[in-house]
Amino acid sequence: MWDAAVAVGDRNRDVDDGCGCDGPVLLRLTGVTKFYSGVPALAEVDVAFRAGEVHAILGENGAGKSTLMNIIAGALPPDRGEIAFAGRRVPAMTPESAAALGIAISYQHPAVLDDLSVFENLRVALPARLFAGRPARAVARDILGIMGLDMPLDARGETLTVAQKQRLEIAKALALQPKVLILDEPTASLDQDATDILFRRIREVSRSGTLVIYITHRMAELRQIAHRVTVLRDGRVQGGARVDAVSDHDLLAMIVGRALGATFPPKAPPGAAATVLAVQGLSGRRFHDVSFAVARGEILGIAGVAGNGQSELMRALAGRQPAGGTMILDGQALRPRDLARRAAFMPSDRHAEGVAAGLSVRENASLAALAKFATGGLVSRRRERDAVDAVFDALAVKTPSLEAPVLALSGGNQQKVVLARALLAAPALIVADEPTQGVDVGARAEIYRILREAAAQGTPVIVNSSDAAELEGLCDTVVVLSRGQVVATLTGAEVAEARIVAAAVGAETRVALGAPRAAPASRLRHLVQADNAPAVPLALVIIGLALYGYGQNSNYLSAFNLANILALAAALGFIALGQTIPLLLAGIDLSVGPLAGLLVVIASFFVTEGQGVAAMAAGFALMATTALAVGAINGLLIRFARFTPIAATLAMYIGLQGCSFLLRDGPGGYIAADVVAVINAQIGPVPVAFLALAAVAVLGEIALRKTRAGWWIRASGGDEDAARRIGLPVARILVLGYIGASLLVAIGAIMLMAQIGVGDPRQGINYTLSSITAVVLGGTSLQGGRGSFLGTMLGALLLTEVLNIVAFLGLTQTYQYVFQGALILIAAVVYAAIRGRGADREG
Amino acid sequence: MAARADQPLQETRQRRRHGAPLARGFLTVLAATLALLVLCRILAPSSLTAGALAGSLPFAAVLAIVGLAQMLVVQQGGFDLSLAGGVSLAVVIATHVPAGDSAELPRAVLLALACSVAAGVLNGVLVSVLRLNAIVATIGVNALIYGGVFAVSGGVPRTTTPLLAAIAGGETLGVGNALWFALAILILVALILKKTVIGRRFEAIGANPLAARAIGLAVRRHQITAYVAAQGLYVVAGLLIAGITKEPTAFQGDPLLLPSVAVVVLGGTSLLGGRGFPVSTVIAAFFLTQLSQFALAIGVPYSAQTIIQAFALGLGIAVYSLRLPKGIKKLIKPLNTEERR
Repeated sequence: MWDAAVAVGDRNRDVDDGCGCDGPVLLRLTGVTKFYSGVPALAEVDVAFRAGEVHAILGENGAGKSTLMNIIAGALPPDRGEIAFAGRRVPAMTPESAAALGIAISYQHPAVLDDLSVFENLRVALPARLFAGRPARAVARDILGIMGLDMPLDARGETLTVAQKQRLEIAKALALQPKVLILDEPTASLDQDATDILFRRIREVSRSGTLVIYITHRMAELRQIAHRVTVLRDGRVQGGARVDAVSDHDLLAMIVGRALGATFPPKAPPGAAATVLAVQGLSGRRFHDVSFAVARGEILGIAGVAGNGQSELMRALAGRQPAGGTMILDGQALRPRDLARRAAFMPSDRHAEGVAAGLSVRENASLAALAKFATGGLVSRRRERDAVDAVFDALAVKTPSLEAPVLALSGGNQQKVVLARALLAAPALIVADEPTQGVDVGARAEIYRILREAAAQGTPVIVNSSDAAELEGLCDTVVVLSRGQVVATLTGAEVAEARIVAAAVGAETRVALGAPRAAPASRLRHLVQADNAPAVPLALVIIGLALYGYGQNSNYLSAFNLANILALAAALGFIALGQTIPLLLAGIDLSVGPLAGLLVVIASFFVTEGQGVAAMAAGFALMATTALAVGAINGLLIRFARFTPIAATLAMYIGLQGCSFLLRDGPGGYIAADVVAVINAQIGPVPVAFLALAAVAVLGEIALRKTRAGWWIRASGGDEDAARRIGLPVARILVLGYIGASLLVAIGAIMLMAQIGVGDPRQGINYTLSSITAVVLGGTSLQGGRGSFLGTMLGALLLTEVLNIVAFLGLTQTYQYVFQGALILIAAVVYAAIRGRGADREG
Repeated sequence: MAARADQPLQETRQRRRHGAPLARGFLTVLAATLALLVLCRILAPSSLTAGALAGSLPFAAVLAIVGLAQMLVVQQGGFDLSLAGGVSLAVVIATHVPAGDSAELPRAVLLALACSVAAGVLNGVLVSVLRLNAIVATIGVNALIYGGVFAVSGGVPRTTTPLLAAIAGGETLGVGNALWFALAILILVALILKKTVIGRRFEAIGANPLAARAIGLAVRRHQITAYVAAQGLYVVAGLLIAGITKEPTAFQGDPLLLPSVAVVVLGGTSLLGGRGFPVSTVIAAFFLTQLSQFALAIGVPYSAQTIIQAFALGLGIAVYSLRLPKGIKKLIKPLNTEERR
């Protein structure tokens, strides 16, 4: 049985040939290969998955598991090989075709949108058919029930804990009743109860014929839930077996033992060297009570399954993140401030935090040590270059020149540049987080050598690595973390890959870390944090201000003045509604003001006294077409020519202004009085235009909350990557968003036309800044994803009111500007404070 | 580190010891400017006469200075809309406070500088400590500054002091003083950015604030400095305008705002932050000014000029964006390759 089932190293044999005890093969991968920049992530992977089985994929970090799942789900195209579903070859799997075939995936990093409520997250990610026939909220509650989730449907995504998000993610996949259910590390953040629920669900669906592909690196779980297991190592299938026919020992043998190919420098000689660094009871975010000591000449390794607090611990050790406990270096207790100054930190994410793209190799290398090359603040280029040269020689950095852009180097050499930066600063402690990630074999050996040399010279070195074999070769002591706690401290001969992996994988510490579980958000809190919550205080301020004005001068609330304010607010309001959409999409449209101006100028040629209805209609049609074209160009430039929104719409701003002047070099073309009268019509003291604004704002608000289009805008503005993963057409949404913005501006231009009454190329441009002001007052965040049309309308009204009241009370223009400035700043600061928490993680 | 100089590394790494490769932006802007000058020579020689240049160059110098200021902010990934207010405030302080009395000018300059520091610190704190969006923060601060402009001026223009007119409008060695000011500021900015510890850190923080924080640099302090320095340069620009223009209005800064961003972009500095190109920015300022002069000389109406500017800007951005996709791809890739990292 064992022989037949396990085909270690033999890729040509189907792993489950000769074991026909399960259902028919539902999904078969043949020769699937995927490269990332020349490095194979998956090589010739053959696996057959059967209907009704729970098939575990086991392997270490970097073994290729997630890549494999992304290929099955259509998120990544394979470079070679084919996928067959139910015996039929699928030529090119896409997220859509995968969904159509009934493949559902629950991602390791949940695609839960922070800016949307739980209910909206379900609606936007799941097909409409699931909600048909019954009240949608009841359906949503049932879906939450699948994973035993009990939380308000209106809770915002960001208020959920990581575990809740994970459960939501799994529930979304289960709700689809898929034929193939892919679960990528589903239990990484779940507690025992949630894990039990999950396992119950997995057993149910697999009994009803669903294929469950279960990715994990916990062997204990495998035993509980899986029927069959396939082991990946270095992107290759190491073997497969029925779970009941394979021992832990054999599985472990398949997981570990990867060929490193890199040689390690000799370790520190055993013996009682003095302790250089002592860490006692260090606790912080996601790690707890960590203690260890590093002797002179030693390299200490931190191990564990990814996401068990290692990264946070590394940051704390380097003084980059606050932590409690003591650190004693060379017999001296260190304060965090000293630590930050004296420790060199090599971050794991080289692109995000390691190198400064756009700067040269030299500039990157010397950055931390600049002061050493300077006299009186002036950097000596010669001393800098000599020092960089010397350290590059020692590190064998391969670069075409010191002035080459750092991104032109290979990953390994980029990492050496980061290492060179650390060494040049002559640190008292080196903290290296995943120092060989994405580094080729040759460079790895060099990095090991450099770290060892630094240690030998008395600088304590701490290395975090998800590669146990690397830790075995490099480190003198290894501390294994699980769920933020030390589960093993291995020294001497114990520092062996198998021991490290066994400690990390086998650990069953399910101790909840006290901190992260947030208090259940109260209903009041949801209300205060709702996107349209600013409407209430805004309305109160508007009313209060009006009453104050009335108290000062009873004519303030006269029908005439009221109509005046509301009419002005209508024009600004529509333009600001337009501005709201790009801001919701995390962009901006600087061209709204000149566009409104241009449209009025266009109207001044057609919509004038003596023109027939046809000419006027043509004029309005031309206005709409122009707006459409402008919006489309903005969107296309941003999306496909990769202009930043500011750059694209700034160029558009200048161009549109030019067009206005091209058409008219001064005021001219009086708008037909009849048309003005229609637009300025009033019902009592209220202009029809304002009623139209209110109607559009309310409808827009409802669309934003209750329709798919609204969820799409908020989802792709708030988190584009997650939006793409749940299958939203983000590019189309963005372009259509800018078009929608321009069309709303066109309506605003019609209001403006009636107010100015003449085509004037100088009018309109001020609306760019006032529209942004109105939107910000209305509570829309410039980070995207959050905002409210209703708030924008009230913001426009408040802004108009403030400008009006200053004039009405006979205050100078000074007050007009100061009020305006103070208003926007106070609003921005208050809204930021209310949202605050969470948005400011990096501090 | 043990010295291993004997290793045959020199073969693998030929060092180009002198000079960074010339930036693409610099070459583009320089070529465009030279082409424009040739065009002017052929089609509109009147735009290159001493008289025409004496009229236009001081304004190019002012644009260059505010362009450098905007560049400092853009380098930190920011955007300073309060440029308009900053320049206008300096203008009105320089004209209204002395009220024609040259002896009062130094007091006015000090007052303008004090205001600029306050405005810069306010901008910087709002953006980097309170984390407001730079556009929102500087719109607000701009309005506050304009409050100051009206408090000082009441919105009416006033004749400038003779002393300032002599300093800003005068000539030294046959060249307008405004140009000397622009040159001095260019040298100062370039020197500080490229040669000093502070400047080098400043650029690195702009290029990647997260990496800078990982190194342990004071990210916020440098970001605030950018806004303060920018306001300081607005004062210089405002003083020059007050000197060059006979009766400057209260809104002298407004028409400079968008061109300031345009010259920064044309100079090759990314709106996403990072390395700055002071020399290219200044050349771009002269390019943009001469482009208007050229259009004026061949009889193009004002309207078409702005359209030409928009196209120049669009083309400029396109030139720099062309290489972006590759860079972006590199940055985005790791997202999909979680497991591989």
